[in-house]
Amino acid sequence: MQRRTLLKASLAAAGALSLPLGMRHAFAAEPFTFYGLKSMSGAFASYGKFADMGSRLAVEQYPQLLGRPLNYKVIDTEGNAGKAVRKVQEAIAQDGARFFQGCTLSSSALAVAKEVDKAGGVFMTPVGADEVTGKDCNKATFRWSVPTYGAVRETLVPLIKRLPEAKRWYTITPQYVFGEALLDGTKQVLKEHGLEHVGNSYHSLQEQEFSGYLTNAIAAKPDVLVLLNFGSQSSNTLRQAVNFGIKERMKVLLVWSAGLDQFQELGSDILEGVYLGAQYWHQVDTPLNRELVKITKAKYGINPTYPLAADYISTKVMLDTIAATGSFDGPTVAKAMQGLSYEGPTGPESIRAGDHQVIKDYYLLIGKPADQMSDKDDLAQVVSSGQSFAPVQDTGCVLG
Amino acid sequence: MSEKNPLPFAKTQSRSMLLLVVAVLIGLPLVLPSATLATEILIFAMAALACNLLLGYTGLLSFGQGIFFGAGAYCAALLMIHLQLGLFSALLGAALAGGFLAFLVGALAIRRTGIYFVMLTLAFSQMAYFLTYTLSDWTGGDNGLLNVPRPEIRIGDTVLMSLSDARYFYAFVAVLFLLIFIGARRVIASPFGSTLMAIRENETRAAAIGYDTRHFKILVFMLSGAVTGIAGALYAMLLHFVPLSNIDLAMSENILIMTIVGGTGSLFGSLLGAGSIVLLGEFLSDLWPRWLMLLGVILILVVVFMRGGLWGGFSSLYERIKGQRKPSLPTQEELP
Repeated sequence: MQRRTLLKASLAAAGALSLPLGMRHAFAAEPFTFYGLKSMSGAFASYGKFADMGSRLAVEQYPQLLGRPLNYKVIDTEGNAGKAVRKVQEAIAQDGARFFQGCTLSSSALAVAKEVDKAGGVFMTPVGADEVTGKDCNKATFRWSVPTYGAVRETLVPLIKRLPEAKRWYTITPQYVFGEALLDGTKQVLKEHGLEHVGNSYHSLQEQEFSGYLTNAIAAKPDVLVLLNFGSQSSNTLRQAVNFGIKERMKVLLVWSAGLDQFQELGSDILEGVYLGAQYWHQVDTPLNRELVKITKAKYGINPTYPLAADYISTKVMLDTIAATGSFDGPTVAKAMQGLSYEGPTGPESIRAGDHQVIKDYYLLIGKPADQMSDKDDLAQVVSSGQSFAPVQDTGCVLG
Repeated sequence: MSEKNPLPFAKTQSRSMLLLVVAVLIGLPLVLPSATLATEILIFAMAALACNLLLGYTGLLSFGQGIFFGAGAYCAALLMIHLQLGLFSALLGAALAGGFLAFLVGALAIRRTGIYFVMLTLAFSQMAYFLTYTLSDWTGGDNGLLNVPRPEIRIGDTVLMSLSDARYFYAFVAVLFLLIFIGARRVIASPFGSTLMAIRENETRAAAIGYDTRHFKILVFMLSGAVTGIAGALYAMLLHFVPLSNIDLAMSENILIMTIVGGTGSLFGSLLGAGSIVLLGEFLSDLWPRWLMLLGVILILVVVFMRGGLWGGFSSLYERIKGQRKPSLPTQEELP
């Protein structure tokens, strides 16, 4: 290189470096940051880990978005609603964050939804609280998981058809909003089919010992025991029910299971013959699910779990819509997501315009015996699937 | 010098302490990544300071602080949502709610001492949680209470300052913290404060001198409850929401841990304790999902090796560097 050329190049470089920050941005596209709200630490860390893996898979499909490098930033909600809201406020105020996906706790999602709506952003979540697309819905917030109404209908109705001799049904319910919603739905379905609800045991959210409730259930002599709790409580109830020999006395239905990771934890000895409701199952044969299973195995060496699939598709839908609209403007993207139809892991899915609820399948599975499992994750098989959603006017949602 | 004429020394120390607090309040939002994080630290420092009045100055280990924090948060939120009350009315309501509940808890709990007192506060804490959980029509139950406003500072119809900007809200909380800090120092330096410390050192002897120790303990419980209630209200305003976790046992534990890590018997220690625990959570959670284990290790180290908490550790380090003798009482720095 000639000395004169070197000097010119050095001067140009020095000049560029001395430019004010704002002007330098004009030369290089500023990265666009997408935010994942994941419980990476605390009590729900195992859920957050899979959810994060799902979002990362979707983000990797977009090295660039509308000509800008795509940056994915995880906000650790610490399984604490207060921390989640404070960190989201911070991201909005400090970094101008507008696009959020995730949340494990319903309380976090409800509060985050308000903050994102105020900031004019978009938020998509898989949480269980019906209020997200019910009385606390807003124009910025979307929900992937099927509400309690659909979960009850798509598990109880097919099971009633499958077990015509089952006339007496008993429920075990966690006493709070989510449990009450499942219980109300169950009572309604049983009433519609002329079946007898022979009893219910309420338990608190802190409860881990269920033998008393199971004894009550046995005493009521039901044909089916319906578990309306979830997470570690439903796992403990199922374990204790099996120890009590309940599977030999009656059929057991867990309406709202957490899917594969919960099944792996329980094992086939416990799951065999138990009916399980699920938002997602990795063996479902749909084009996008085949693709999701393939990329998940390639990257992580595992089958997709429910949180992985839920956060993958939610992140993908948001990024796809940004690309389709050609805009990073929250309200523009939110508007484009209303009524959107797309290929999801459960098959064709769509977002209902009236309440931003994703319309998708819910599954009824049955636990397989160990000798029929083709691999370690082949713990259950699909009995039925379908879509049941309350009409928008019954959800209490009024989008502003 | 301090032994012959302690007052000028104590006054200088007092002024230095106040300047240190002011410097921290000014520096916090400049050093930290955001004003909201700084605000959270101050709110928990306020709660830890109130807990310190009980644990550090009166020797009462209360697991009921979460009740007062949650009560303040719910009370202020409900007053603002349903009665459209302004900022100061909501804060006053929160202080009264915290103080009143502290009176109820204190009046029963202080009938017992030691482990029985602790167990009673634990029982009250569980009761308050389940009551809040049950009254879901009012509290939002497990979903929390949403749509909590953050009112502006106004006199009549004149708006003096909007607090919607996180920096302005921090400034407001900082001023409030400073006032409460000064107030708490005055309380501690008063004959009332001396009596509390006498109760902490030897309750039987304090009673033998003629003090009605129950009366003093209820009063300090109410004071602590009122300040904790204000902290809870500010937290609700910060988040625009009251999570159920505000009133659970874990909240009481957090406030206690902050108080112990910062240093019992030191009001500035409360600020140190809240700051270190909130910041540890903020940064360690990014490094390791099980960071709470590290928090446990830190707590063990502080309790075993730093009797006076972080403040005690820093003080002794400072004294060692200066080559001076360590002050015999941890409360020396609080003298006016």
